[in-house]
Amino acid sequence: MDFPALGLTLRLACVTTLLLLLVATPLAFWIASGRGVGRRVVQAIVALPLVLPPTVLGFYVLMGLGPATAVGRVVVWCLGHSLAFTFWGLVVGSVMYSLPFAVQPLVAGFSGVDRELLETAKVLGASPWVVFQKVMVPLSKMAFVTAAVLTFAHTVGEFGVVLMVGGDIPGVTRTLSISIFDQVQEANYAGANRMALWLVVLSFCALLAVYAKGFRRGADLG
Amino acid sequence: MRRGFGEVRTLVEGVHHRLAVKGVVGTLQLDVALEFAAPWTVIFGPSGSGKSSLLRAMCGLLPDVEVEFERRDGNAWMRLDAMQTSRRKLGYAPQQAALFPHLNVRENVAFATVQRPRGRAAWISAEQVVEGALDMFGLQMLADHATRELSGGEGQRVNLARAFVVPGARLMLLDEPFSGVDRKRRDAVLPEMKAWLADLDLPVISVTHDVDEALLLGAEVVRLDGGSVVAQGAAAVVLAEERERMLRVLG
Repeated sequence: MDFPALGLTLRLACVTTLLLLLVATPLAFWIASGRGVGRRVVQAIVALPLVLPPTVLGFYVLMGLGPATAVGRVVVWCLGHSLAFTFWGLVVGSVMYSLPFAVQPLVAGFSGVDRELLETAKVLGASPWVVFQKVMVPLSKMAFVTAAVLTFAHTVGEFGVVLMVGGDIPGVTRTLSISIFDQVQEANYAGANRMALWLVVLSFCALLAVYAKGFRRGADLG
Repeated sequence: MRRGFGEVRTLVEGVHHRLAVKGVVGTLQLDVALEFAAPWTVIFGPSGSGKSSLLRAMCGLLPDVEVEFERRDGNAWMRLDAMQTSRRKLGYAPQQAALFPHLNVRENVAFATVQRPRGRAAWISAEQVVEGALDMFGLQMLADHATRELSGGEGQRVNLARAFVVPGARLMLLDEPFSGVDRKRRDAVLPEMKAWLADLDLPVISVTHDVDEALLLGAEVVRLDGGSVVAQGAAAVVLAEERERMLRVLG
């Protein structure tokens, strides 16, 4: 068992999930709170990682972080080195790759909150921030759980983006899925299987947690 | 209770709010210009005559309609239509009770009081207002219950109580305030409501399609039909025809 890879994978998934919830919450709120072409365009862009090959996304992140672009040059200037082939480079790639898995459940959750409740809160004097905090978030708690679990599980399982952006540096960018790939390359099928099984069980438990919770809530309301 | 029953004082003199609404809501052409001078004004009319739309226009919830809405502030007129909904200082009980399902009865009633950071003294007095409103609408026994356990009439009382505790409110908007509330309780709570409002010098605009209720309130009545005002005046005058019919039925 490649424990450094497991530790790295869990660390990457935790950081990505936290950052992504911070980014996705205002984005989803904005998308859900109105109509218009701008919102639909952003929604389509957010969904792109669902259909793009991870290598395409990884390629552009790699290029974007490198000295070939303005963003990359700023990063290099600030940090003294490129983010490519580092842990934080992986985080940037993961955040982009898992963006739809955080944004979409939140958009669905926010849109599902009764508009009349939001209007009433507003008339009773609640500022937009208070409406969000006291009405929107508590009434879409399930969406936050779903977004967090899906993001976490999806990040644990990513391969293409990690390989493109991070390479395969043990202890730095070699995540579990890449370690499995390496084992298979070395024809160590038993070792690959042990790790692969872990991933299957972990992912299954995460999804089960989401569905079990959704079911309980459904029964509650019924 | 905060005070006993007393004669309701008419503290609101002169016009306190002005409203002009023009535009289309659904299939209805709204064209209304109104001045509100009475402490309690009832907007009366059949379903679909645009009553609730007028209240929603005052709240700033009809974005596609031309609305002019002003409040007398000392000797000046304050433009409310240009203000954000949350800054208009309205107590509001919508037609569907729209209670917050994640809050219990007391938390629902207190909703408007907990959202602003305030001093300890203000916090204590806000708590007293909440308890007073729970008392007035007979909700103390239900205060810790979840809203989904309430009957329709109980939910409506929570809706009303919640509107009554908005700090600093300058106008109360009640949409079918007594729908689902039995008449006995309505008749009992009405004098208390009026006294509470007179205490705060807080005018009311309510909506109803119930003649009995409009007459009972003894308020100024605005009669609405097909999106336009067809009459405005004292309840006994505007609703004279309905009143006679009712008296005939009662023998």
